[in-house]
Amino acid sequence: MPEALLLLQAAADTSHAYGEFPLIGARAAVWIAAEVHLMFAAFVLGVPMFAVVTEAIGIFGGDERYDRLSKEFTRLLLVAYSATAIWGTILVFFLATLYPKFFAYLLAVFAPSTWVYAGLFFVESFTLYLYYYGWDRWKKGRAKVGHWTLGILLNVWGTIVMFIANSWLTYMMTPPRDITPSTDPTTIKLWHAIANATWMPINVHRLIANVVFGGAIVGAYASYRFLAARTEDERAHYDWMGYVGNFIAMSALIVLPFAGYWLGREIYQYDQSMGITMMGGFMSWLWVIQAFLIAVLFLTGNYYLWIGMGRIPGAERFRPYTKWLLVILVLGAIVWGTPHTMIADSKELAAMGGSHHPFLGALGVMSAKNTAVNLMILTTFLSFLLYRRANTRPVVPWARTGTLIQGAMFAIAAGIVLFYGIRGYFVEAIVRIGFSVYQVLAVLACILCVTVIDLLMARGAQSLGAIRWGKMPPRSQYALFILAVTFTWLMGLMGFARSGIRQYWHVWQVMQDTSAYAATPALGYAAKMISLCVLIFLSLVAFVFWLGGLAEKSTFVAAAPGVSPGTRGAQHVGH
Amino acid sequence: MNLRRYADHPFWQAVGIVVAAYAVIVYVVPLLPGSALVPKSVVLQYMATVLVGVLIYVSDNEERWASFREPIHAALVEPRLRLVRAGLLVAVPALVGLVAYGQVRTTVAAPPNLRSIHPAPPAEITFRGKSITLTGLDNPLRQHPESTPAYTAEGKRIYYQNCLPCHGDHLDGQGHYAAGFNPIPANFQDNGTIAQLTESFVFWRVAKGGPGLPREGTPWNSAMPRWEDFLTEREIWSVILFLYDQTGWTPRTWERSQGGAR
Amino acid sequence: MWATNLKVVGVVLGTLALYTLIANKIPQVQSEVPQALTTRAPNLLTDEKGTGLIGARCGKREPGKSCKQYLFESLDNPTAYVVPGYQPIMPVMTKQLSPQQIWAVIAFLESQGGTVDVSASDIPAAGAGVASGVSPGPAGPGLAGGSTDPQAIIQAAGCLVCHKLDGQGQVIAPDLTHVGSRRTAESIRKKVLDPTSSIAKGYEKLAGIMPKTFGTMLNAAQLEALVQYLAAHK
Repeated sequence: MPEALLLLQAAADTSHAYGEFPLIGARAAVWIAAEVHLMFAAFVLGVPMFAVVTEAIGIFGGDERYDRLSKEFTRLLLVAYSATAIWGTILVFFLATLYPKFFAYLLAVFAPSTWVYAGLFFVESFTLYLYYYGWDRWKKGRAKVGHWTLGILLNVWGTIVMFIANSWLTYMMTPPRDITPSTDPTTIKLWHAIANATWMPINVHRLIANVVFGGAIVGAYASYRFLAARTEDERAHYDWMGYVGNFIAMSALIVLPFAGYWLGREIYQYDQSMGITMMGGFMSWLWVIQAFLIAVLFLTGNYYLWIGMGRIPGAERFRPYTKWLLVILVLGAIVWGTPHTMIADSKELAAMGGSHHPFLGALGVMSAKNTAVNLMILTTFLSFLLYRRANTRPVVPWARTGTLIQGAMFAIAAGIVLFYGIRGYFVEAIVRIGFSVYQVLAVLACILCVTVIDLLMARGAQSLGAIRWGKMPPRSQYALFILAVTFTWLMGLMGFARSGIRQYWHVWQVMQDTSAYAATPALGYAAKMISLCVLIFLSLVAFVFWLGGLAEKSTFVAAAPGVSPGTRGAQHVGH
Repeated sequence: MNLRRYADHPFWQAVGIVVAAYAVIVYVVPLLPGSALVPKSVVLQYMATVLVGVLIYVSDNEERWASFREPIHAALVEPRLRLVRAGLLVAVPALVGLVAYGQVRTTVAAPPNLRSIHPAPPAEITFRGKSITLTGLDNPLRQHPESTPAYTAEGKRIYYQNCLPCHGDHLDGQGHYAAGFNPIPANFQDNGTIAQLTESFVFWRVAKGGPGLPREGTPWNSAMPRWEDFLTEREIWSVILFLYDQTGWTPRTWERSQGGAR
Repeated sequence: MWATNLKVVGVVLGTLALYTLIANKIPQVQSEVPQALTTRAPNLLTDEKGTGLIGARCGKREPGKSCKQYLFESLDNPTAYVVPGYQPIMPVMTKQLSPQQIWAVIAFLESQGGTVDVSASDIPAAGAGVASGVSPGPAGPGLAGGSTDPQAIIQAAGCLVCHKLDGQGQVIAPDLTHVGSRRTAESIRKKVLDPTSSIAKGYEKLAGIMPKTFGTMLNAAQLEALVQYLAAHK
């Protein structure tokens, strides 16, 4: 009875190791709790970052509206903060009851860090209360700077809290190599476990992603308030706020792939088979979906900008160019989305001679995709530049030369990207991987230099008329919603990728998952779970926003006579 | 000059772009040298992207959006376009019906299904009872460059004795029996097969064949035999040497120090 | 206002539905747990962590124990030498197999990389050495030398490898401490003779694990003693 013996062993092994959750099962329960907790956490970590930045702009730029905006962000935080804590508690209870053995293991390794975590969470909450409720009291002079310091502290606590939590999950992915299944967890040095291979890459990646996410959610909030607005002033204020949120999200998004790239490299370096599982194994199709989502982000983000040009006097000059930007983006999206292994029936397979298309297959490899995505980033940046410049005419004497230099920089960056993209077909894989670094550097350098030139050129630029904030068709606001949903969904998907590559391990090659849910589900199931989590999160966030609206109708300030709201704002944030 | 008016109108521009894109993808791409027909799934994906692009184009500007909607609006309400309206009323449901019919119709062809051509290899395999660690493994026959030609010649002999019927004289997967298989034999000349793989991966695939494929390699069972039952370890390595030598590809190399591959 | 709300909900749900649909349209691949990893015991037939096949390493495992002794004790008392990193879950094999079978297994394991030194003389010696050795079959004297002491029967039959009784034993199978309050003597008897006749609720997955051989291993007096003993556990 060998199979009976196997069963017996499995049973002995799993007895007391796993709990069962009614209806949806233990894995789905933990999945939902972790995912929703993470989304709230990302929100309450991302929003303070730019609440502090906008407050600083308000203090040092002397623009009252920024201060109000910052306070409005913080008000959203208060309720979102307790939601984060509630979902975190649910997650801990689920882990302790549904995965007790694994949870005990993690605690054995990380116990002291959990105490620090709890303590910091406490401190962070009180900093937040002080920050919000002290807003109107410490309004002037030195007190205001002190208040701003509170905001900075809030970010510091939040970041440390996130770093601690990151160490737990990166330990699950990449435990230090000297830890084996027989290592007694209580003997593992805490710092040794925390400073594992992927800890820092995840920290950086999440830090940036939180900003993106916070910006997107704030954008969605503003767009809802815009659609619901009753007066012109209110509409103008929320149009501006939506623009700011979207701007923050998109500009942070541009650097996110580089952080992701670093993370990917670390995973490969830690364990090549884990890397292959991630990029080429059962998860390879996940990247096609990711490509699709990113294409949606690029197209929608640019679409919002282009519609926004309709409210900027002087933008007519640039309108004819946007359709060529669109052409580049669509072609980029087509290349970026071309699958390497195509879904085809047997007749098509026979005609193609395999599931690689003899001609289009060339677009499905990394060389083509890196090239496409880098060109899409450049194009999006160019859109921003045109948008920024739309309202002004530079007066500096070297304006023409400056523009020519900027154009040349774009051309050079695009040239470098294309050169290495094409060159990549003729060299072996290792060299090719190195090429993507050059492409990325070219794009980053171009963005940096062009921005600097642009800032210098914008000095004392002549305005072509105030931006007509609020003069936006509703479609643009729905675009912001699509952006927010897509960002949230993408976060869920990438979380699945990160967590899923562990496959049947709780802790990679240290503690095996022997539960009924050890197999990693297919993408379809994961997509349903992600959609469910996004829906739960967005419903709760909508409730939080509604609460925020109950407390105080809105914080917009009526425009000072002669100054259209937000004009100066866009100038500041647009930098 | 009537044509000119149509060419400037966003609605007809949009229609024109969609039709042209479809024509290019379905009819022009297969005509390109060395190309083949584009699978339906990819056509759908490309057309969806183009359609989104077109919608963005017509709606990112108030004026254009208004004139884009004009003919649609006219077709729905204007009395003089009653015939067009009636035609649409028949054509649109008929189209939807046709698509639905196409979806549910039973055919004799096997449904399109994806198999992972190059699934993640195991870290180690058991070759005739002996453990071989694949991670970081290179072709041991390359350690003696002076005898490589001899090994390559041996690999050539073994290839022609064993692999030829399926993988073909040109190593292009067009052997005599190739047409009978699903999945079809690998084309070594293609830049997507051995050119992308480490030699240890090729060794694993040759040694374990179709039966050794992980689940991602299903649902169609590869007819590739488990060559470990017929060839020795050295014979397989020499065939691999021959494959790379003959096609001119260089195997993917391992990266120990820097990592990071996609 | 409601129109706007509905439109927003529509956009959000539509986007979610689109993404979910696309992810479900592509081929679905699950990452299964490799079969080899579902067993949690050291692999005897491979070069476990560079130490060689079991036949080559069994003599070096415990100082002063020959290969033969080490393997026999591992089968007779599996908790004696648990390899670090593994759970002590192996059942006592001398209660499952006859001495002939045990020594055949030992000889096979020795042949994996070592020299076989099991001889016919081992078998009776082992039989004498193991009080609980069992020869399955109707001709057997019954477990525990035919003793009708229920505790000796339970000990010899290895019930506590899976069941718990009066605070002893494992919890893989139903706890027998209060079995008398759940089942009648009739039902317990039936269950011992034909374990699959009725499965306790919650243990359906483990159906078929309990050996079906107790009917041939116990004699009638022993069976009755055991059944009455358990039925009295209320």
